[in-house]
Amino acid sequence: MSHANPRARVAIVEDDAILREELARVVDGADGLEIAGLAETLGAGRALLASDPDVLLIDLALPDGNGVDLIRQARAENAGIKIIVVSIFGDGRSVVRAIEAGADGYLLKGADPREAEAAIRSVLDGGAPISPTVASHILARMRERGAGARTELDAPLTEKEVAILSDLAKGFRYKEVARLHGISPHTVADHVKSIYRKLAVNSRSEAVFEAVQAGLIRLKD
Amino acid sequence: MLLTRATPPPASRLTWALALVIVALQLAFSAGLLWVNFRTEDIPGRRVAEVLAAESPTPGYSALRADAFTPTAIPREECCATNAIIYRTRLTAADASTRYPAVLIVSAHDNALIYVDGELVGGLGRANGPAPVMSRRPQLVRIPSVLAHDNATLDIVVQRAVGFGHLRPFHIGDYDRLYPSYLMLRLLRADLPFVNAVIGAFVAAFCFCAAPLFGARALLFSLGGLAAAWAGQHVGLMLTEPPWGANANNGVYLVSFLATLVCTAWFFVEWTSVFGRARPKRHPLLAFALDPWDWRERRWLALASAAVMIVGAALIAWRLSFDPMIGAQDVNRIVGRFGLLVMTFCLVRIIAFYMRTGFREPIEASAFTFVILAAIADIAMVQFLGTYGVFLGAAVTFFPLALLLSLAVRARGVFEAATTTAEKLNLLVAEREREILDNIEDARRHERAAMLLEERGRIMRDMHDGIGGQLLGLILQARSRKLSDDALVGGLEQSLDDLRLMVDSLEQGEGSLTGALGAFRARIEPRCEAAHVELEWAIEDVGDTPHIGPDKTLQIYRILLEACTNALKHSSAKRISVSLRRVGETRIEIALSDDGQGFDAQARTNGRGLANMRTRANRIGAAFEVQASAQGSRVLLTLDA
Repeated sequence: MSHANPRARVAIVEDDAILREELARVVDGADGLEIAGLAETLGAGRALLASDPDVLLIDLALPDGNGVDLIRQARAENAGIKIIVVSIFGDGRSVVRAIEAGADGYLLKGADPREAEAAIRSVLDGGAPISPTVASHILARMRERGAGARTELDAPLTEKEVAILSDLAKGFRYKEVARLHGISPHTVADHVKSIYRKLAVNSRSEAVFEAVQAGLIRLKD
Repeated sequence: MLLTRATPPPASRLTWALALVIVALQLAFSAGLLWVNFRTEDIPGRRVAEVLAAESPTPGYSALRADAFTPTAIPREECCATNAIIYRTRLTAADASTRYPAVLIVSAHDNALIYVDGELVGGLGRANGPAPVMSRRPQLVRIPSVLAHDNATLDIVVQRAVGFGHLRPFHIGDYDRLYPSYLMLRLLRADLPFVNAVIGAFVAAFCFCAAPLFGARALLFSLGGLAAAWAGQHVGLMLTEPPWGANANNGVYLVSFLATLVCTAWFFVEWTSVFGRARPKRHPLLAFALDPWDWRERRWLALASAAVMIVGAALIAWRLSFDPMIGAQDVNRIVGRFGLLVMTFCLVRIIAFYMRTGFREPIEASAFTFVILAAIADIAMVQFLGTYGVFLGAAVTFFPLALLLSLAVRARGVFEAATTTAEKLNLLVAEREREILDNIEDARRHERAAMLLEERGRIMRDMHDGIGGQLLGLILQARSRKLSDDALVGGLEQSLDDLRLMVDSLEQGEGSLTGALGAFRARIEPRCEAAHVELEWAIEDVGDTPHIGPDKTLQIYRILLEACTNALKHSSAKRISVSLRRVGETRIEIALSDDGQGFDAQARTNGRGLANMRTRANRIGAAFEVQASAQGSRVLLTLDA
């Protein structure tokens, strides 16, 4: 995509005007990034998707609903879009929910412009940012799903992935994890992306399972 | 289990119907037997009642002269001191001309040997010697055609033992025509007693085996003894050639007869006492006859019964030892009279019992009453009318059936009561369970509410102490325009950091301290980088730390933050190391060390910070230790995980 269009187009959905302007400034000031549009609400964000942006920066707490819905829609409409959640605390619960809906990474609100730009570029380059909080949250989530054992997970984590995730949860950086496991930092990033994907898959199948249980969906025999 | 004292429910219609069926069966059977007994007069062939009779000088047959015989009519009560009686008649031309001439002996207490013209042609008994047994079997004996001629002498030799030595009218006729009558008689005299003996043996075995299982051992022992004695009587009656000799056989019968009577009395006293209800005291004689006996009296009864049987057996043995034949007759008569007394006593008791309990067990009541009446009737028939009793056989044949049905009815009552009780208990348990669950739910809700309240209070305190104060300070300074923009941004960033610290601590919840410290790295690493200090991260996975909640996590954060600040500000360290490890089954150790110049030099400026850390450590129950030397310092926190 970046070949067809040398400048990646970034859509921003954020209700706080100051933060929105700050993010717009960051994008404007960065080489290879341009603004695709700004939106304050979920509705406006939805309209923004029509312009087919390359990156979506999105806040979760929007005045007319939860950003997670828009993430899900964006992922469904455009498999290649990079979605970055903008969060004030980067707390595990909201970030993991966003990742389950299809987000690729997160960005702390109020990060300085260099960090913000680096985070956007990292996601565009196929990176998968993850904080120790998010990692331990994912681990806990996988554990409780495994323990619930209502169904086999469609996409269970491999042993390697679990080991990497728990090292990340301890606060180790990609590089340190890579050294601990004798692999390259890129491979660690690949593992994390795979973990994110599985999280989304499991979340979807769990939703289907729950819907079937609730009688909302009837499977053909 | 059967000893329930609760009033049984009134008899159901089904119970009454079953009781009537059993009584009807007993009556029908008795009537049938009675009919067979008396129908013997109608047996085809020539009935012979008028005969000549003579006493034999020996226990066996002896050829007597014709004038020794005197005319007599049979049956006749013949007592006592005789060995054998020879009854004589003559065959007629009609008798001799039948195809297979035969003699049907309906009954001969005790034996009958048949001689034609002085030749033995058949029968039961010993030709020479004392009577082997008293046999109740009917006999159908063919007269060989060479001996069957007009006016041939037919002698029937009856040996005496327990019975009366009497011969009932016998029949002469064609073998084939006599045969059906013979079969009926055999059923009455031999087969039915055999069945009764088997029933008695089974009931006895059951009672003795089941005695430990029920609550009423004496009751079952008495019934078992009764059944065993009943079986013993029939063993004594049926064996025609016992291996232990005729005398012993008579002894078995007589001792069994006595035992039957004793056990009957014992059993009915037990039954009417165990299932009866206590009555107010009254005249001892009345109470003895009519009311339930208490367990002490019944124990005496059991002992007395055993004693009577043992003494009776000894007396019988003694009497038979010097005069078996006459002695057996005497003993039989005495025991028979005693039997009448016993049965009358039982009848009175059982009727009083059922009058008292209001005939709630009709099957049992009718069976018991019938069996006692039958026994009385039979003893009377035997002792006074010189005929066979027929009622007891019928009664006893159906008695086990009645008893089993009655037990079933009682057991059903017990089971129903048990089921009802169980259902009530279940309901009660379910209700209690619901109450308990409700209570637990309430308690949980309260606990949750209390926890939430506590948590809310803690967070408010934290905000008040931390971010609230910081923001207020910034506002005041900004208002008085004493604040540079950089200082304002720095202060605000610090406030946000503090807020994030709180969020991080809350997020970990009751998870693991490992993850909580992992999140903490992002809080101190930027500072270290800014100060060009290397941060060494040495966190081990310490697993679940259920005892370290958000409050403790936040305090740990703050202690570490303080320690880190100290190290960065005052120690000129090149490297800071944070470690977490488990130091025991339940304890963990958190350390922050630097390679700076140690604490002592800055003790004065550090004083407040250290005191702060110590206070926080105390608040969460952690051991706090500071090690400082020229090579660096180390803050150590140890606490239960």
